[in-house]
Amino acid sequence: MVLARTLRLVAIALPVVLTACAPKSWVVLLPDEDGRTGRIIVSGEEGQTEVAEAGVAASLDTPKPETFKVTPYRIEQTFGGALAAQPKPPAVFTLYFESGGARLTAESEALLPAVLAESAARDGADISIVGHTDTTGDPADNKALGMLRATLVRDALVAAGLRLDRISTESHGEGNLLVKTPDDTQEPYNRRVEVVVR
Amino acid sequence: MLPEAWKSPTRYNSHHPQQALILAMSSYSAFSRLMLACALALLTRVALAEDGPIGYVKTHAGAAFVVSAGKSMEAVPGLALRQGDVLRTGDDGRLGLILLDNTVMSLGPNAEMVIDEYLFEPGNEQLGLGVRLLRGTMQFISGVIAKLRPEAVKVKTATGTIGVRGTRFLVDAGN
Repeated sequence: MVLARTLRLVAIALPVVLTACAPKSWVVLLPDEDGRTGRIIVSGEEGQTEVAEAGVAASLDTPKPETFKVTPYRIEQTFGGALAAQPKPPAVFTLYFESGGARLTAESEALLPAVLAESAARDGADISIVGHTDTTGDPADNKALGMLRATLVRDALVAAGLRLDRISTESHGEGNLLVKTPDDTQEPYNRRVEVVVR
Repeated sequence: MLPEAWKSPTRYNSHHPQQALILAMSSYSAFSRLMLACALALLTRVALAEDGPIGYVKTHAGAAFVVSAGKSMEAVPGLALRQGDVLRTGDDGRLGLILLDNTVMSLGPNAEMVIDEYLFEPGNEQLGLGVRLLRGTMQFISGVIAKLRPEAVKVKTATGTIGVRGTRFLVDAGN
């Protein structure tokens, strides 16, 4: 009896609670692809709140954002279209070079077909190519060498049929080390070109 | 199978790039050509920073458009996006895009979004991303800009602002 009455009360109260918690404009945090969850800071006209838990939402149309939990069902109902339109996440390839010049290691040369296949598998693919060097020699020379490495990879991809206008090429020289080393240090893992296929 | 450019050991055999410069400087005309090339490269770079694509459309369904400099285009995969572009979807529309720093965004039906600001030059510490969702729904997955400078990334609606600290979220801006 008591239980039935409680349930009835909940049934009456629930729509009221849901209405109170149903802003027209809101944001909900999701876990990242790798399973971790980041943070968002939501600001209204009169205050702000932080959300750091997946499945927790905050209103965007109240002076001070109010947090509330949302079910996966409601997320799917509201955001099914936006979720369905999510592009495939970018794919990253790292190609390594022999010391000094712009000659790929044999293993990295063998990765080229995988880069081409990844690009072919995407509609409207674009590619970023960034060249890097180790700390051997002068930083300005290394900037040029990084560009030479990036250009070599670009030319190979274009020769294999990729569109030049959707490829961007740049060099970070020795300014973006994968393995931190002192100056003038040979480091195979720093002699690389990073190719991002989007 | 492999293209010649890939197979050839290298077009540049030296450990010391300055040798190339010295070679180029050995004749005046070669040197001036080099300077001209450098100047041109610099000009192109500046032009690219201002007018170049900031990303590309990747997915679409139904009615989906990009309005760029007053011109409306169908949002087909591979369409280049620029700062200031307005993205719109109709009743049955949706649209997905990836920006150059790997920020991924997608819009549900009846949505309108403006890319107000996009700066991605990590070498010059020029970083910024500002978008406004005027109506409809979107998904946002942060990229390199949010990693390097989280406070430089803002997603706004008519009434609220979302500051991004490296993450994935959904926004409903209502209608």
